[in-house]
Amino acid sequence: MSTTSSSAAAQLRHRVPRLAEAAVDRARLTVVPSRRVRAARVPFVMLVTAVLLGGVVGLLLFNTQMQQASFAATALEQQAGNLAAREQTLSMEIERLRDPQTIAARATRLGMVVPTAPTFLDLDTGEVHGTTTPAGPENSLPINPAPPVLPAVLAPAPTVVEVEAPPEGVLPEDRGAGQDGQRGNSGDTGRGDGAGGRDGGRNSQEPQQSQGSQQNQQNQQNQQRNR
Amino acid sequence: MRRTRPVRARGGLRGSPQLRLRVGFVLIAMVLSVFGGRLVQLQGLDPGSYAAMAAAEGSRSVVLPATRGDILDRNGEPLADSVDGLMVVADPKLTTDDAAEIATFLARRLDVDYPTTLERLREEGSRYEYIARQVPSTLATDVVTEARELGYDGILTQRDPVREYPAGDVAANVIGALGMPHPEEGDQPLVGLELAFDDWLAGTDGSARYEVGGGNKLPLGENVKVAPVDGRDLVTTIDREMQWYAQRVLAQTTRASGAESAFAVIMDTRTGDLLTLADHPTFDANAPELAKKVNRVSRALGDVYEPGSVEKVLTMAALIDAGKVTPRTRITVPPLLRRQDSPIGDWFDHGEIKLTLAGVLAKSSNIGTVLAADKFDAGELRDYLVDFGLDARTGLGVPGESAGILPSGALWTDQTEDRIAFGQALSVNAVQMAAAVNAIANGGVRVDPNIIKGTAELPDGTEVGTDTATRRRVVSEDAAEQTMKMMERVIDPEVGVAPAAAVPGYRVAGKTGTAQRAVAGGYEGFTVSFAGFAPADDPRFTVYVVVQDPSNGGGGGSVAGPAFSKLMGYALRRYGVPPTGTQPSRLPVEW
Repeated sequence: MSTTSSSAAAQLRHRVPRLAEAAVDRARLTVVPSRRVRAARVPFVMLVTAVLLGGVVGLLLFNTQMQQASFAATALEQQAGNLAAREQTLSMEIERLRDPQTIAARATRLGMVVPTAPTFLDLDTGEVHGTTTPAGPENSLPINPAPPVLPAVLAPAPTVVEVEAPPEGVLPEDRGAGQDGQRGNSGDTGRGDGAGGRDGGRNSQEPQQSQGSQQNQQNQQNQQRNR
Repeated sequence: MRRTRPVRARGGLRGSPQLRLRVGFVLIAMVLSVFGGRLVQLQGLDPGSYAAMAAAEGSRSVVLPATRGDILDRNGEPLADSVDGLMVVADPKLTTDDAAEIATFLARRLDVDYPTTLERLREEGSRYEYIARQVPSTLATDVVTEARELGYDGILTQRDPVREYPAGDVAANVIGALGMPHPEEGDQPLVGLELAFDDWLAGTDGSARYEVGGGNKLPLGENVKVAPVDGRDLVTTIDREMQWYAQRVLAQTTRASGAESAFAVIMDTRTGDLLTLADHPTFDANAPELAKKVNRVSRALGDVYEPGSVEKVLTMAALIDAGKVTPRTRITVPPLLRRQDSPIGDWFDHGEIKLTLAGVLAKSSNIGTVLAADKFDAGELRDYLVDFGLDARTGLGVPGESAGILPSGALWTDQTEDRIAFGQALSVNAVQMAAAVNAIANGGVRVDPNIIKGTAELPDGTEVGTDTATRRRVVSEDAAEQTMKMMERVIDPEVGVAPAAAVPGYRVAGKTGTAQRAVAGGYEGFTVSFAGFAPADDPRFTVYVVVQDPSNGGGGGSVAGPAFSKLMGYALRRYGVPPTGTQPSRLPVEW
């Protein structure tokens, strides 16, 4: 097929009158022989590979580095948290030791008291201003709260049993009977007897004794009535 | 021909191409429609939740807690501060099996109750049980680590801030307390400044969201952080050491006199700073739930009472300022003064005595005061008392303040005025009264009392604090000085009623008060008090001590006087105020 078409073109060319042949010859296009200068392939491939490889390895290293930093950051944050907590616990302890109550308790244990009147020493003249009063135990301040009041169940009112002093001339059996009698009456008598005994009973012994025995008789009567 | 041959050979297996195509298309269509349906389901119906699920996978959200502001005293000593704490919680699903061993371990390390812990560790159907609250974080972390090492699973920690009151009960009645924090709602302020300034102290929590892998933050992952805004500190004018001393002195006074309660105010005369606002009984702010509710408030602000004779000081100052009397004005005091409704008597029996105005104050004569107050024009005394700051809240910022009662309008009758002149038929709170007496100490100028140093803002936008303090002249400087000289005679061991209030070496001006105490519509018991300032000729401190219902029959001079002397002596020494070295006034008391 190619041979037929080229021969046709040749025939056509021959048929066309050759006008300005030289100009046509000059104008005829010819293919410029390609000047392919081959760059050396190996260095380029090496470069690209190196860049790629470098990039990948670099990225890997960078990422690893960042991860390492992140691990370190987490560990350090945790450490910082622990240390901050420790610091807080310690400063809390300091605050508790600096509490005025703690200081006062220690001072009191050393026997110190708060003075009532201030006194001033003038360092220039050596004079003492103000009234100097000794700080004695009477200045001590109770710093601890009063013990809590126990509920009535745990701290019942003390049962007061008033025992009559033995009136003279009355047998112990009778006395025993008298004690079982009315307590209200015997209370007054009991106290009177006690006072009489303490005073030595020079003058008052006589009347009190009689009073006591009267009381006792009364009690005996009461007892009998009760029976 | 070549194409048909294989069809014939394998036609029985594959059927016609059309059929194969159709079956193939149907299968593809079915698979695609399943994909399509799934697509609609994922993207059309609820895309948000899936996006959130995707985000939650591997990402972590945490609350960055704001630190609550501290409450400090005037020297920067902490009255309340916040400490990081943790709560130890258990997941019973994981702990049931080893409950006994774990409970033994926790009871030993965290000092918790063994049976309760055991029960919680075995709670059925629960996955969250409290073991211990507000544990210091070092201890809690140690315990959880140890538990894990011992092979006990299901013990966790969670944030639980601890509010620490290093001085325990010191100023607890003023600063209040924070209750056990709620796991979600956070702080639970109960009373006092903690409650009133909750917004100021609380701050705003921040948040952070970041992606995690293996417990570590991913460096290039999503990372959103909103920094927390910490609460602001609240600086008070309270002097912690002095407050402590005052509370112990009040405890001693209350115990010695068999009183119900007592409170004291120590005020800086010149600035109006409240150095002490003490109460007894009070409570340990570290354990507010153990205290009675009545003991958790400030009585110095909440308890209104009839001030009694201390009020005579204001009457006298007003009388002198109005130019009606002088300290030497002669008054004949009858044994009993008959007025319209009921007779007025004195606390001591006397015949007809001749006292000067100074003597009326020194001997605390009701009758003498009423006779002097007769010189007032109608309503003049009330105006003076309002000027002194009675009948108005002091606005310190401590919640629970009562304004007291000063009769007005139709209730202000002649009889009322007679009684008000010597301190009955009106009621005040202790800070109001201390500020009124302080006006006389401060040369007749009343300074607003304050307990917040600088300024702080209440939730309603009101600014309170020393920066907002205002001053106003109530009586002239001369009237204030004359009154001071009369008040000095009260302490005089020969002519006065309260020698026990003296501070050795100093000139002290003061006044006792013994008033019947109004309880539920009737009078029951007494309120005894002592207000005064020192050094009298150059006052630095005003101290006011009030004792409610002493059962030993003591009055203002014998019960509150010694407490006043101790507090004043302490304040003068602590602030290094030397005696002025001048002679006390010798105003005549009789004529």
